[in-house]
Amino acid sequence: MIITLDKKEFSEGVQSVARFAEKRSGTLPVLAGIAIIAGDDGIKLRATNLETGVDLKIEGTIKSDGVVALPAATLRDIASSLSGSGTLTLEHSGDTVLVSTGNGRSTLKTLAFEDFPTLPLPESPRAKFELPGSLLKALVMSVVSYASTSTVRPELASVLIAGEGSALKAVATDSFRLAEKKVSLSSSIAAFSMLIPAKNAIDIMQTLPDETIEIAVDEHQCAFYWKKGVLTTRLVTANYPDYTQIIPKSFVSEATVLKKDFEAALKRTAIFSDTFQKVRLGFDAGSKAVALSAQNADVGDSAESIPAAISGDAVELSFNHRYLSAPISTIAAESISLSASGIGRAMVMRGSGDTSFLYLVMPMNQ
Amino acid sequence: MNRLDARELWEYTLTQVELSISPANFNTWFRDSSIVKIEEGIVYVGVPSQFFRDWYLKKFNMLLLKIIRGVSHEYRNIEYMIVKDDRRRPPKESRHKPQQTVEMPLDEFYINKSDGLNPRYTFDTFVVGSFNELAHTAAQAALKRPGIMYNPLFIYGDTGRGKTHLIQAIGNQFKKLYPGRKVFYLTSETFGQDYTNSIQAGNTNRFKEKYRQYDLLIMDDIQFFAKKDKTQEELFHLFNALYDNNKQILFSSDRAPAAIPDIADRLRGRFAAGMSIDIGEPDTESRMAIVRKKAASHGVYLSDEVIEHIATSISGSIRELEGVINSVVCHTQVKGVPPDLAEVRHSLRSFARPQKTVSVKHVVSKVAEFYGIDEESIYEKTRRREVVRPRQVIMYILREDFSVSYPTIGSKLGGRDHTTVIHSCEKVKREVLVDPDLAKEIQDIRSLLV
Repeated sequence: MIITLDKKEFSEGVQSVARFAEKRSGTLPVLAGIAIIAGDDGIKLRATNLETGVDLKIEGTIKSDGVVALPAATLRDIASSLSGSGTLTLEHSGDTVLVSTGNGRSTLKTLAFEDFPTLPLPESPRAKFELPGSLLKALVMSVVSYASTSTVRPELASVLIAGEGSALKAVATDSFRLAEKKVSLSSSIAAFSMLIPAKNAIDIMQTLPDETIEIAVDEHQCAFYWKKGVLTTRLVTANYPDYTQIIPKSFVSEATVLKKDFEAALKRTAIFSDTFQKVRLGFDAGSKAVALSAQNADVGDSAESIPAAISGDAVELSFNHRYLSAPISTIAAESISLSASGIGRAMVMRGSGDTSFLYLVMPMNQ
Repeated sequence: MNRLDARELWEYTLTQVELSISPANFNTWFRDSSIVKIEEGIVYVGVPSQFFRDWYLKKFNMLLLKIIRGVSHEYRNIEYMIVKDDRRRPPKESRHKPQQTVEMPLDEFYINKSDGLNPRYTFDTFVVGSFNELAHTAAQAALKRPGIMYNPLFIYGDTGRGKTHLIQAIGNQFKKLYPGRKVFYLTSETFGQDYTNSIQAGNTNRFKEKYRQYDLLIMDDIQFFAKKDKTQEELFHLFNALYDNNKQILFSSDRAPAAIPDIADRLRGRFAAGMSIDIGEPDTESRMAIVRKKAASHGVYLSDEVIEHIATSISGSIRELEGVINSVVCHTQVKGVPPDLAEVRHSLRSFARPQKTVSVKHVVSKVAEFYGIDEESIYEKTRRREVVRPRQVIMYILREDFSVSYPTIGSKLGGRDHTTVIHSCEKVKREVLVDPDLAKEIQDIRSLLV
């Protein structure tokens, strides 16, 4: 195999593909590599960690066909050290690859390509639809950080993506809080749902382009196709908890506060939160204010109230302040509505007038 | 035709596969797979994802077919299926649910992180004999009405008598009886360390809160608190907080509350406030019962004469007894049959404790030094008070700890009559029981002699 590539094209390709190579040691060595495939349909970079896999086309000229697998970490180091414009040539012979750039030459040991796994693609997709990559990325990235980080329950360490008609939604929860984001599509799609492991989802969303992509889903695998490549991930096949049951139907108290007020007050109060990061939130319709307070035996205590439009009864709830501040950046609206459904029950946070994003957080035991 | 069940077939297949591919390949591709079922000659292999299925079909299908056909021609084909995540996980998951640990197949070295208890210690494996009957009964009573019946329960006895077993068993039983309540087991060393760390980190409040939340607090080897004044003070406050809220407290120590040296009196009083029970030396019958039970738990059944021999030749610590049983079990596993009396007798020689030898002069000089008197005066025929007491203590220690005969003691200590020696020993023995100061002195002297 002899190929010539533009330096910039090569760097970008390697940087985005290397993310999918296996980083843990003790597995098959070739999984920590990137396969370079030069054939009739151009030059492709391929990597997989048996959870996700990627196939990315890059521009270049092929002098002779061939395949080779090279260690991803080394390729990435090379890619990030390239400077200036120009081209780079890869020449495969025996068990080494000669990398030449301008007047520099280096040889790289190859990995055993015959051990390199194939990328599984959905065989008989239950759902297949197109949407702009930017839309999908926004959808998934606004909830993925709320998925559980523990692998004890694989379904909670996943992002649920489900669609029906022209609505598409993503949901993630770690059983302390839950986030749901909805978007509408320009065309109608068949009903489907899938669970992508949250870790994989982040890698995929960071790699997907903004242009139109096609998604194909079957029971165990999901693939994202766009004109320069394809990404595929394993799906979690456990049952997702029926989360709609947890979303309260009625509220005892609802408050609307300015986002910037709430964010600033929370930040100040959180300084005084205890080791459990507890902050108390009081809804008081009489004084038209939401009160925030915290106390820490070692630091001191703090209380402040922010003006709010409140309806309903007075109620006081305690929360982990991180769980309250996390969704604020995701909410685009000027003001936030806080809806409490009673002591020991979930509170819902939304942007005012924005029904696409819902964030639900469980209070701490008092 | 040899039909194996699914698990055995898979294990056999793995051993064969391992021979024909590289270890890295084997670890990557075969670690998470298994045979799900065998139906009508088709073997269904469960794999974690489609990556695996595709690769199995491409690379390993022929190899696997060859291996399983080698076992039996009944197996016609292999199908690969992706197993559901919730089916694949259960063995890992169970460890994360603490309430299941009691029913878990008990892992020797597994200690529950949330309460520090080792689930291996239960009442089922606890042998009750006359030596620990009282402690056992008190434990049961305390379990029935925790915090009220005997609070604190203080269990003491020499090393290897089963104190830790008993108090951990109480903890495990408590968890079973009262699932909602919190138990915590720790050694006094852990407590001290935790306290020091909390001072360093500047969060002593959190330390206090942490220990006050438990419904049953078990503290092992309390005697190590000696001389740690600040830690003792912390324990004192913790004790009061728990005691006032009727939370059960459990202590163990290698000596009676009154005999723990260098410990604050207010703490000593509190240790003794509830119930203090001594676990004595197991009698021969109990030791025989222990040997039988321990051996049986390893699946080894010994003849009565072997049991009796082991029980009589190893005295004192049950831990040493366990060591002997372990070597017998090991012997049985290697040779396939339990050892007979001659073999046991032979192997026991290595366990025989070297006889304690003592020079009277050494004891005399240490005791004289302890009381700050002239060594020579011990041997003289003086009856001054400050000399009489040390001399009696020397006699007592020589007799009790080193089993020196009365006449020998008498002649070595300046030619006294053996009846004088007997009188002195008896006197000290009586006084130790009622005079904590004396008990403490003797304890201190003993530690000097070791």
